[in-house]
Amino acid sequence: MHRAPRRLLVPAAVAASLVLALTACTSSNFGGGDDGGGGGDAEEGPIKIGAVLDITGVGANLGVPEQNALNMLADQLNEDGGINGREVELIIKDNQSTEDGAARATTQLIENDQVDLIIGASRTGPSLAMRPLVEAAQLPTISVAANAAIVDGSEWVFKTAQNDLVVLERILDDAEAKGYTKVALARDATGFGEGIADIITELGAERGITLTATEAFEPSATDFTAQMTNLRSADADAVIIWGITPSAGLAQAAYVQIGVGKPVYQSHGVANSAFFEAAGDAAEGVLAPMGRLLVADQLPADDPQKEVIDQFIADYTEAFDSPPSSFAGHAYDAWKIGVAAIEEAGTDPEALRDAIENTSDFVGISGVFTMTPEDHSGLTAEALIMAIAEGGRWNLHEE
Amino acid sequence: MTLSKPAGAVRSRTGFWPNNRATIIGVGILALIILIVPFTASSSMMNIAVFSMIFALPAIGLSLLMGLAGQVSLGQAAFFAIGAYTHAILLQKFEVHGVLAAVGGVVAAMLAALLVGLPMLRLRGHYLALATLGLGFIVMIAVREWEFTGRTTGIYGYGRPEVFGIPIDNNGLFFWFVAPFVLIGLVLALNLTRSRAGRALSAVNDSELAAESLGVNTYALRVKVFTLSAGFAGLGGVFYAYQVQIVSPQVAEFHVSVELLLMVVIGGLGSVWGAIAGAFIVELLSEGLRDLIPAIIPGATGEVQLIGYGLVLILVILLLPGGLYQAALTTWGAARRGIRSRRQASDAAASAAAPDGTDDSGAGDVPTRAFGGIPDVGAGAASSTPTVAGVEQTTDAPTDEVTLPVVSTPVATGEPILEVRGLTKRYGGVVAVDDVSFSVPAGRIMGLIGPNGAGKTTCFNMITGAITPTAGTVTFLGREIQGRKPHVGAERGLTRTFQNLQVFSSTDVVGNVYMGRYRKGRAGILRGMFGLQGREQYTHEQIARDILDSMRLGDVAQLAAGDLPFGRQRMMEVCRALAAEPALLLLDEPMAGLSGREREMLAGLLRRLRDAGLTIVLVEHDVAQVMALADSVAVLDDGVLIAHGGPEAVRNDPAVIVAYLGTDAEEAEAELKELEEQG
Amino acid sequence: MIDFLQLTAAGLSQGSVYALLAVGLIATYTVRHVVNIAQGDYATLAGLGSISLVSAGLPLPVAILIALVSVTLASVLIERVVIARVKNLTTLVSIILTLGVSTLLQAIMLLVWGAEGRRLVAFPGTDLNLGGVSIRSQELWMLGTLIVVGGGILLFYEKTRWGKALRASAEQPVAARIVGISPAVASVLAFAIAGLAGAAAGVVSSPIYLSIWSGGLLLGLKGFVAAVLGGLVSFRAAIVGALLLGVLESYVAGYVASGWKDAVAFVILIIVLIIRPAGLVLRPNAVRV
Repeated sequence: MHRAPRRLLVPAAVAASLVLALTACTSSNFGGGDDGGGGGDAEEGPIKIGAVLDITGVGANLGVPEQNALNMLADQLNEDGGINGREVELIIKDNQSTEDGAARATTQLIENDQVDLIIGASRTGPSLAMRPLVEAAQLPTISVAANAAIVDGSEWVFKTAQNDLVVLERILDDAEAKGYTKVALARDATGFGEGIADIITELGAERGITLTATEAFEPSATDFTAQMTNLRSADADAVIIWGITPSAGLAQAAYVQIGVGKPVYQSHGVANSAFFEAAGDAAEGVLAPMGRLLVADQLPADDPQKEVIDQFIADYTEAFDSPPSSFAGHAYDAWKIGVAAIEEAGTDPEALRDAIENTSDFVGISGVFTMTPEDHSGLTAEALIMAIAEGGRWNLHEE
Repeated sequence: MTLSKPAGAVRSRTGFWPNNRATIIGVGILALIILIVPFTASSSMMNIAVFSMIFALPAIGLSLLMGLAGQVSLGQAAFFAIGAYTHAILLQKFEVHGVLAAVGGVVAAMLAALLVGLPMLRLRGHYLALATLGLGFIVMIAVREWEFTGRTTGIYGYGRPEVFGIPIDNNGLFFWFVAPFVLIGLVLALNLTRSRAGRALSAVNDSELAAESLGVNTYALRVKVFTLSAGFAGLGGVFYAYQVQIVSPQVAEFHVSVELLLMVVIGGLGSVWGAIAGAFIVELLSEGLRDLIPAIIPGATGEVQLIGYGLVLILVILLLPGGLYQAALTTWGAARRGIRSRRQASDAAASAAAPDGTDDSGAGDVPTRAFGGIPDVGAGAASSTPTVAGVEQTTDAPTDEVTLPVVSTPVATGEPILEVRGLTKRYGGVVAVDDVSFSVPAGRIMGLIGPNGAGKTTCFNMITGAITPTAGTVTFLGREIQGRKPHVGAERGLTRTFQNLQVFSSTDVVGNVYMGRYRKGRAGILRGMFGLQGREQYTHEQIARDILDSMRLGDVAQLAAGDLPFGRQRMMEVCRALAAEPALLLLDEPMAGLSGREREMLAGLLRRLRDAGLTIVLVEHDVAQVMALADSVAVLDDGVLIAHGGPEAVRNDPAVIVAYLGTDAEEAEAELKELEEQG
Repeated sequence: MIDFLQLTAAGLSQGSVYALLAVGLIATYTVRHVVNIAQGDYATLAGLGSISLVSAGLPLPVAILIALVSVTLASVLIERVVIARVKNLTTLVSIILTLGVSTLLQAIMLLVWGAEGRRLVAFPGTDLNLGGVSIRSQELWMLGTLIVVGGGILLFYEKTRWGKALRASAEQPVAARIVGISPAVASVLAFAIAGLAGAAAGVVSSPIYLSIWSGGLLLGLKGFVAAVLGGLVSFRAAIVGALLLGVLESYVAGYVASGWKDAVAFVILIIVLIIRPAGLVLRPNAVRV
């Protein structure tokens, strides 16, 4: 009867909309990621650098300054004539602070944009999610996140943030010097905080320090009462809060409100002013190892990084009306290392990777980098200073 | 009839059986597009196309669940995630072969759905929707907190699939990889919507009570569809895991469920094609808005596409509740109106004349003609409708061949078929039915009468399983069925009609009567999905048509049930009940709203059915009709059975007269007589 | 023991937020049979609104008052523009519609206030320390708000003619009409009450729990769980249920793992729905869906 042709209509409508929407175009959809860096090693046209950052979501305090720094640096580079006369195209993708967002963005950068180098992601979890993809595509990638697992044993992934290992060494050294024997930990529940308890146990054993309690909190959490209550009864000499802002700052505030009253170490994840917004007065007296950026004005004149840092602060402040955070510094380092390697080796993935591995004594914001095929992180404990929160900012802590 | 040769295996006049030409053409077109798309689409479009294919699978599942089973699920992402996680874990941790891992993903999702569906699908409406939403959160939290599922980071590093040694490592190939599964899923789902089970589910959506009274086990079907829907979601999850290369807790997040819901709502609830279109539109919308909103509102970041989702959800529901599917049908309908009216004009005066003829003159004669050939039609038939034979027969109905609908006669005439013992229903302190006991002998008509509020319908509802008695037993064919769902009795041959009509408004008249055949059919969901029940369905459809023809409703078989005049809807309900080949037919005020002729026709029919061995119980307001029709009459007053016996005995029972007409017995008798004369 | 009391105190203050949302949900459910998924978004909207007003220089009480009134009006507007326009408001339609409203509200908040959580300045008061259990003054404000706003709504429903008629209007429109409430007015009133309760919850909890655009959904759902404990009709049972839920969540966070905290509500929901869909404390003949 009349029904049959009528029901043809919806399929036809689907068909029509598909055809209309899928307009004809140039790039092939079959150029996969299996041919060693895609079409990235073209000798002409712009050099493409992709970035996958936590611009929104729980990592926004990290990703936004990183995005700013990269945009600024790309503009500077192109004003100066690009790399060897070729323009540099920076393609930034927001992973919404999610692992699958990072994976999707990475796939797009590899398959659609065919970038020559990827920077990102801002946090450990998304960076780990990107790792197998860039390794399969054999594409050099520089993460700006911290956890050593991002680069451990990787051929293609590098990172510029200080290792959690050296940060914890720094904290535990300080604790040992102050005669603490028991510490308690409240850690980020995501990749950034994973394995931290094990490292503390291991490093602490050498220093006579034991870990008495471990609590975890989501980076999206706003209520920390339960964790802090448990820390209060953990009978520790000091507490390590390991997370990023704002959650680590909120945890700090809850910690003080609950009235635990033990000294607190935070990680380099709070190396920004957002920490003070989240923690308020509770921040006072907190110690945290971090790069030199936030205490640049207190550095001795002969500090090897001072010149680079002062220049970066001046440029960034001029462009964005606010001083950069350490995370902007991580992005700066990633960019500079990557660009220098492209200048030297071009965009052939293997040559580029080798060039990054050969980075030596590069003076950056987060420290002085020396990469090797074995060490894709390039920083030592030297890169860190101990900072103390005083009056709403980070100051150099005299040890 | 416009299709001269249906391409499918089964010839169908209604076009709702599987394997018909429209589906084949539609799927063919879609397949062609799928072939072409990777060659023509831009890379960003290709990306959208891939994800719309992936999400089309859970959307099809959700569409079946919402459209067919009428259940809102806000937790479809949970099953999507279970499929994705299982697949990824099997690949990454156990290094299982890809095909096995995929099967594992689908099975895991279905098992999970079965497990939670068994208790949850007993819930209704809001509760079910929010319970599924809660389920989504639980799954997300569980995978986030569990070491085995990789906590917040998830499962990654398992590589791309390979087909015949070709790695599927780009969007073009991946599109071809996933698309065939979408096509197969589409065909299976389309088949299901037209199958016995699918039609039963849409009937449940129209009237759960009526469907259950025809033997549909709503709960079991819903659990099956819920499980099936999760299977679709799980398969989508498998492909998602392959494409994204990581499965992290975000796949179970609420906004994924919202996106899936949006796909179904845009496409049109219950429309499988719509789900695919919806998936594409939502993906397109998502990408487009992510670019558009920040351009309009500087500084806007994050999930800005949500503003579009919210608006579209509200606007579609307010302005276009049927979604794209409805919009397409409306447009098409408008375009075809001209053609149709021309065709109808040429379709002869017969169809135009039919409704009038039936209403005015033809109502009574059909049963006479139809059942005249039945050997054991007794003298009662002839004597009760002496005038009918003389009525002119209308021209179009081929009544010569039609036969009395088949009835079941499981016990010998006169043996008790239904026994009611001590039936009681209390609502709080109010006793609606109080210790009612009676027995109904097979092959007889029993009338149940009583003043308004006497508890007739309550009693009736307890017998049929619509409500649970506070105390007492209902024994049908030797089995106690009190407190069981209506389908329990219906499966054994207890069928009813309703005082307040319960038509299945989403289908046509023949579709309604076809539902009466439900308890005689056997095909389940699987057979339905694979389209292997055409013959069975066709047979039942034919029987449904024969019954309609015999009841002078053949001319309206193709009309939407809701469009019929009230009286004919009631007749249609009777047809529907008769189609079930019942052993016991319970009629709740069957005469209400019928014209005089229709009443006569129905009364005649009931007598003939009785003579053919059918047992009938009718609740009736029209006392005179009952007295004329019934072999025995039971009278309820204020929940108490005050009289039960032959019509004459009951008529003269003083208690009955008092009950009906107040305390003045004489006046009551007078009024009763008057009533009878009117009847 | 101190830990236990500390967790209990934290749970009670969190529970008071759920309780207010549950009250709002029941208000709309009893009149319109709508489970308003956007209920929790009223809270975040009021929180964010008052934060902006305070930072614009308004004194805190004024900012709060404006936020309460505007969110109440917004709720009424939603009822008029969206809910009231649907003739046949089936379960499916009402859920999709309020889900749409919720999504839209969230998106608007995201666009206006950005993605980051914000905090309203704490209400005046000093934090207490009772034998080692530290209680923030804001937590007392939260419980106090529940007593005043929740209790006020309860009194309205149970003591005033209008309130009683409103309760009855779902099942007996005639009863409502006798007092002069048409179904439309009853619906508007119910949404106004829901808006007020949600807004109060959002404003008073913002100094501790922050206001973030996406936070309303989970809050609303937990309010719903509490409402289900009261069979979706009993305010008192829902308030008790909400406080219990808050405390139980707090125990799970403290003694099990904080990550499982959010699962508590839904596990309870599913168990309760399966075992006793009519709620925990109900007479057998109460309204069912």
